Amino acid sequence: MAGDKKTMPEKADKKKFSRRDFVVGGGTALAGGALAAVSPGAAQAAIKQDSYPLATHYLVYDSKHCAGCYRCMTACSLVHEGEINFSLARLQMHRAVLDEYPFDISINVCRQCPTPLCVENCPTGAAHISAENGNIRMIDKDKCIGCKTCIKSCPFIPYRPIWNHYTNKATKCDLCVDTPYYNKKGGPGGSQACVEACVANALKVVTELPDQTDISGYDRDLQPPRKAMPKMPFGAPKGKSKAAPAAKES
Amino acid sequence: MATPGFAGKILLVDLTKKEIIPLDTDEYAMYGGGHGTSTALFWEYCVARENWDLQDAFDPRNMVSLMTGAIVGTGVPHGARTSVSGMSPQCYPVQWFCHSNFGGTFGTMLKLAGWDGVAVIGKADKPVYINIADDKVTLEDAQNLWGLTTWKCQEEIWKRSGIRYGQEWVNLDGSYTMQRPAIVTMGPAGENMTRVAALVHGGGSGAGQGGFGGVFGSKNLKAVAVMGSSSLKIADPKGLQNALEWMEKTWGGGGGGFGFGGGQDVQSCCAGCGTARKCHNRTRAHGQDSDDCAESTLFSQTPSNGQIPSDANARGMDLCQEYGINGMECCFQGPMSFKTDHNPDFPIQPEVPAYTALGWYMKKMYDMGVIGPGTSYDMAPLNMKQFNTNEFMEIYALALSKRHGIGDMLAEGTARFCEKLGRTEDFKTLCRLTMWGYQDHWSMPGVEWAYGNLMDSRDINSHDITHSPGGGFGGGGAAPDAEKFVRTMAQRTAPFNDPFWFDYSWEGKQAYDTGIFSRHKAQFTAWHQHYWNYYKESVGFCDWGYSNLYSGSHPQNFGKTPEVEPRLLNAVTGKNHTFEDGIEIGRRAWNLKRAIFVLQGRHRKMENFTGYYYRPGASYCGYSPNLPIFDGSKWEIKNSKELYFTEDGVEHWKTHFYDIEGWNQDSGYPTRKTLEDLGMKHVADYLESKGKLGAA
Repeated sequence: MAGDKKTMPEKADKKKFSRRDFVVGGGTALAGGALAAVSPGAAQAAIKQDSYPLATHYLVYDSKHCAGCYRCMTACSLVHEGEINFSLARLQMHRAVLDEYPFDISINVCRQCPTPLCVENCPTGAAHISAENGNIRMIDKDKCIGCKTCIKSCPFIPYRPIWNHYTNKATKCDLCVDTPYYNKKGGPGGSQACVEACVANALKVVTELPDQTDISGYDRDLQPPRKAMPKMPFGAPKGKSKAAPAAKES
Repeated sequence: MATPGFAGKILLVDLTKKEIIPLDTDEYAMYGGGHGTSTALFWEYCVARENWDLQDAFDPRNMVSLMTGAIVGTGVPHGARTSVSGMSPQCYPVQWFCHSNFGGTFGTMLKLAGWDGVAVIGKADKPVYINIADDKVTLEDAQNLWGLTTWKCQEEIWKRSGIRYGQEWVNLDGSYTMQRPAIVTMGPAGENMTRVAALVHGGGSGAGQGGFGGVFGSKNLKAVAVMGSSSLKIADPKGLQNALEWMEKTWGGGGGGFGFGGGQDVQSCCAGCGTARKCHNRTRAHGQDSDDCAESTLFSQTPSNGQIPSDANARGMDLCQEYGINGMECCFQGPMSFKTDHNPDFPIQPEVPAYTALGWYMKKMYDMGVIGPGTSYDMAPLNMKQFNTNEFMEIYALALSKRHGIGDMLAEGTARFCEKLGRTEDFKTLCRLTMWGYQDHWSMPGVEWAYGNLMDSRDINSHDITHSPGGGFGGGGAAPDAEKFVRTMAQRTAPFNDPFWFDYSWEGKQAYDTGIFSRHKAQFTAWHQHYWNYYKESVGFCDWGYSNLYSGSHPQNFGKTPEVEPRLLNAVTGKNHTFEDGIEIGRRAWNLKRAIFVLQGRHRKMENFTGYYYRPGASYCGYSPNLPIFDGSKWEIKNSKELYFTEDGVEHWKTHFYDIEGWNQDSGYPTRKTLEDLGMKHVADYLESKGKLGAA
């Protein structure tokens, strides 16, 4: 087959949380609490949560209206790396083209965690919180030594930091702060290439902390309000003589 | 180092010798990539190195190529096409060198694996599929994939890996990808070497015309699977972003294009496209297929003139995708009721649907008593009492794709089915075959489409002129001022800018002076073919977006052509090509293809339309009958549903066309000067050695 099935070789032996974990758990506890139940590292980080300022901006998405066109990933790698490479795209859309809607498309973005374990565990400080950029969780490529600790620490499956196999360093979504090939100003308060490239209104940057309980905090309906459907498009029900009132548009 | 926009390598696979050979893409740069490069490879490996008659597409010496161009994978809307080239088993009566293409993610993934294309020659001794993971290329056993439908085959290849795609990163020798392999495959119709077998990628991105699924079958090649984690260089990333923003601001989302627009479904797109054209959708209610391409969406969602219930029609199209059947060729009827919408007074055959296809023709033959009970043609395994049902569709697809019973005749395609019945006269009536065994497809009254069919090797399926997005010749809001309209169109057709290219006068002297038989129209047809050979089939632009001469979105009604194509391309490649440079590359590839045609037997005497085009009614199903007409003093938009060709007029046009192309006017063979001016002395020498070089 095309590739060997292999998780990261040094992957930490911890329980990782995917959206399914949260959904299956079904709990209403905050993510930090859920993590604390099973993950010692996460529990330690959760205790320190107050020490991490929240990010001011978050990338959210709408997988049910995504067109699966890869323009977000193309734009992401283009503005960050100056070339196109899906493996270097810092958000990952995956399309199982033969699966049924809406399970055919999944999107994985960095959640800018309230308790960023990538930051917490980075041995060099490369993974950090950038106060001058809206407290975005970023990786300083000059400080990164390629130890993959951030990747191993990410509590989500699939992990959200990106391994750059050309530089042998990790990267992650920075909301387009460090984009030498972008024709706009990126970063919080600026533009994001993926959002700009999306033709389906399926990506958006928001300023409130998304609900951390389950996937719906990030995967949400981003479409503009629909027009009201006519109440009786095919005429009045049989047996009623009075016509239905005309539909009103919202 | 590869030219930006290109991966830099082409994968040549010899299935007989089990050899995998990387070729340098830049060595074929003069042919433009895509179909142009495939034509050059065919010349090199199938013509110049082999001494065979080029008559049997199922011969192992035939090469089938899947080739991308510079724009593929760059995130440019309408830029995701993978061209398929090779000798075509569907073409009739000669199995010409031909082409098709498909969208989806395959071309993008191929380039991100570091390959611009895959060219396959030879025949494997047992079923195999080609597996590409970046630089690692292997021939994998496909014996237990043989017999699977296109969907099952893809699912099986994905399942074999044991990887939970989308939920874990896949290690490709140190790099990682979250994506699953993009796969193009053929179904049972290809395995059984039918002449109507498609290549299918994903749910329904298919290369239908040409019958290349059968060529895969003849090579024991079930599929090509590719996944990549490499980088595609872009020469000017900011310039590309600026160009895309300018295009989308000027011409609307994705740059506008031909398509469905609205609709009730959640759209999906080919990789990088995002044009909101509704070419694909995610939410089709029927079947498993959430990725039907436009063709099948169109066929299955459109009311079917009352002949086939829509659910059976939809099921039929799903079956086409699953069995790998060319739906355009084999369906039961056309996509829309043109007779009602556009030409209520069609004078000849009002009972013939707009797009006559194999299924419809078979039913017609049955109703007429030509096949079925009492004849020498048994209908088994079809039960005609089940006609109009899903069950009938199931058996029809099965019989055709496995050559069961009458399916063996149907699998030969409409033209050969007619021939077997001894009814080739039906070509010009019931079958409405235009040229080379392909059915009419809106090719009239926009005659450049029809002429393209004549000079190429198939229905060129080129919606771009008479269906010009935002305008068209009277459809979709064309300018009421005919002269302003043609002058606008002329401004977009560099370097000639001739308004008489758009004169569709078809009667009397005017037809010869400026109309459909004139030198103006011959020049336009040549330009259109050169454009098509480069910008569409070689660069990778989609027919539904390009060319675009007239647009209602632009303040002066200018279309994207000729500004957008070079600006996008130059940003990607870093070159400084003009639009005309691209036209010249297209002319080179077109002439090389002409040389192949000539070696296969093409001659001026062969290039005559079937009788279909020479009779009133030839234009009855044209999408837009309203055309600009010049009467010698003024322009007018007129309904031209009565337009048809005359044999004398076409001969007049051909003389002009050969002259413009630099081909001998008696034979239609390219001359040495023409080929050498295009840098193809080796082609001239070869033609001369075969006695096929056109006299100057």
